[in-house]
Amino acid sequence: MITIPDSITGAVILSIIDFLLSFFIITGIGVILAVLPVVNRIWKIDEAKLRRGGH
Amino acid sequence: MLEQIISLFKVLLGQTGIGHLWWGNVLMIGIGTVMVFLAIVKRYEPFLLLGIGFACIVVNIPGSDLILPGGLFHYAHQGVALLIVPPLIFLGVGAMTDFGPMIASPKLVLLGAGAHLGIFVALILAKVIGFSITEAGAIGIIGGADGPMAIFVTMKLAPHLLPQISVAAYSYMALMPLIQPPVMRLLTTKAERQISMGKIREVSRLEKVLFPIVIASLVNLFFPPVAPLVTMLMLGNLLRESLVVGHLAETAGGSVLAIMTLILTTAIGSTMRAETFLTVQTLQIVGLGLVAFVFGTGSGVVTAKIMNLFLKEKINPLIGSAGIASVPIAARVSHIVAHQENPKNYLIYHAMGPNLAGVFGTAISGGILLALLGVK
Repeated sequence: MITIPDSITGAVILSIIDFLLSFFIITGIGVILAVLPVVNRIWKIDEAKLRRGGH
Repeated sequence: MLEQIISLFKVLLGQTGIGHLWWGNVLMIGIGTVMVFLAIVKRYEPFLLLGIGFACIVVNIPGSDLILPGGLFHYAHQGVALLIVPPLIFLGVGAMTDFGPMIASPKLVLLGAGAHLGIFVALILAKVIGFSITEAGAIGIIGGADGPMAIFVTMKLAPHLLPQISVAAYSYMALMPLIQPPVMRLLTTKAERQISMGKIREVSRLEKVLFPIVIASLVNLFFPPVAPLVTMLMLGNLLRESLVVGHLAETAGGSVLAIMTLILTTAIGSTMRAETFLTVQTLQIVGLGLVAFVFGTGSGVVTAKIMNLFLKEKINPLIGSAGIASVPIAARVSHIVAHQENPKNYLIYHAMGPNLAGVFGTAISGGILLALLGVK
């Protein structure tokens, strides 16, 4: 397994990878959220029914 | 006879803590007292400062054995050290949080990553100062402005730094209304601060129910190191959004969260013993924490400004700083600064999107950090 060296270079490498990867992954979450409204065309939840059946 | 009485008193005095009192204890008791004062008189983040301040006072009284096995503070600390309390705090937070603003504005989630540059600036600076790479990682996560996540990552990377890191993280979160506005104003023009944003679409119940299930699945699949926290956040949110277990959602977001906050704050305060806390290292960590918060705030605003170069409908860059997390304090700061510029501008709902995305941004950064450093 490749490990991050315990040095300033290691800290910089770790930071760059983490920062860029965070952007990439959060963009992925954004894409999922953008397509989420599609589910409304397939199915609809009756909120009133849910509230009545609760507790 | 008199000598015997005096020596008996000396023995008695030796059994109390008075003889062991030193200036460090007095200083820490003073700090604890200021925290309690701020909480009660100034009403400054009382939910955090009251417990931390009180425990700080008590553990610095020589002879206090509440932090030893058998003492309640010891068990409170165990709850934090064994990573039981942070996930339960997240359960409560999830049960209280409406993720609607985040679901409604997918493009704004980018700000949740953009506002985390502070983590990496602090990480690199910590390494330059001389901390090990794992210690630097734990210090950097202060910039995620997420208390439970900071504790979680610190316990994995550098548990011996828990007192300093948790105190720095929670203190700066409480001080956000003072730290963020100058940075936000420095990086924006008056015209930018006055930008009004359109109405956000309404999110359906189905989307709100699916959201926690999808996110929990993704996090467990891609980020097992931080899954315990995010999973509980999503479980709490599912309890809330499903509408069928109102009592459970109320309990998780009410009583459970209150009890866990009590345990967490006393546990943090009980780690502030003068012997371990009054070090140069503490000052360095506190300084690096401030750097992390300033850079995180700034990078969030700059990310929003960069996004505006590509967006037809401009966003107010002030909401960028909310991406740092610290829900809902950072969103409130964005709203207040914008409101001061334009009294008709209500940014709170818009700012909540990046603010909530910031929680995931911190979790993702923390998860990657743990994975790259080979910590499970």
